[in-house]
Amino acid sequence: MVLTLQTKDGGIWFKPADLVEGRASWHIDYGEEVDSIELRLFWYTSGKGSQDVGIVRVLRDDSPDPSGHRDFSIRAPEGPYSFSGKLITLSWAIELVALPSGETERLDLRIGPQPVEVDIA
Amino acid sequence: MSAVVVSRHRPANNPFASHRVEGLAFRFKGIGPEALRRRLDDLGGRAAIVGPEGSGKTTLLEELARTLPGQSVWVRLGAGCHRPWHTARTQLPSPVSTKHTVLIDGAEQLGHLGWHRFLFATRRAGRLVTTLHRSGRLPTLIECRPDHHLLRALVEELAPTEAPHLAPDLDDLFRRRNGNIRLCLRDLFDLFAGRSKPIFDPKSG
Repeated sequence: MVLTLQTKDGGIWFKPADLVEGRASWHIDYGEEVDSIELRLFWYTSGKGSQDVGIVRVLRDDSPDPSGHRDFSIRAPEGPYSFSGKLITLSWAIELVALPSGETERLDLRIGPQPVEVDIA
Repeated sequence: MSAVVVSRHRPANNPFASHRVEGLAFRFKGIGPEALRRRLDDLGGRAAIVGPEGSGKTTLLEELARTLPGQSVWVRLGAGCHRPWHTARTQLPSPVSTKHTVLIDGAEQLGHLGWHRFLFATRRAGRLVTTLHRSGRLPTLIECRPDHHLLRALVEELAPTEAPHLAPDLDDLFRRRNGNIRLCLRDLFDLFAGRSKPIFDPKSG
């Protein structure tokens, strides 16, 4: 299975409430079971301690063709901005997930007023 | 002890970030996963992984679970669990049957009565494996005894470039943390995060 994700123009920085536009593509090999394909916009933390994650938008395609693509347009959230402190980094990402196998392709985004993540360390 | 200086890493790129530490495989010494599984069967399918805090018991339990047949049922009781028996019971299927392999992490949270209730509730489980700080509640499957060689090996895996610079201090860190590998790795996270780290301060301790 091949899953690919790309944003329009390849950009990864989006201001709050911007439209995140791009294309999700997939190729399902013969014999692989795929009931649906999901595109998720989510945040996650990494660093010290347990990781947290929150999914804020989901676009779902049931019974996808073996090979296909879908152009997407998702409104970027107002917040929180992408940031790094001393203990955790909060990152935004979109991922393309094939279900039920859970095979995933992820593209990290940066959401905030500036093109660099907020440094609160 | 030498003063260790490393450049500050953002948390997501810290070599000792939790998602990297949790991805470490258990380092088997003297006995492999298959031999361990056979030993569990020899013990009647009920046994304990024994070791002090931060010695890799949970990591081993997770790896062992992958080699065991049957449907895994995880019961996780964190330190300071308010109502451990109630918490454990809500994580068990009803009824527990021979197709289930019950894995309980943090069984010492259950008191004497809670433990016996738990044993009764899981009496029909195909297998029951627990982690414990001390032996006694179930036959000991294996004892986890971390040493400074293990800490060095894990640091080399997580931070291969910096490991040679850290090596002189790791034995001392291991000793100060009483062999708790988890705490050692958290201290190393702090060091790489640029947080003040008395454990690496030659004047401390």
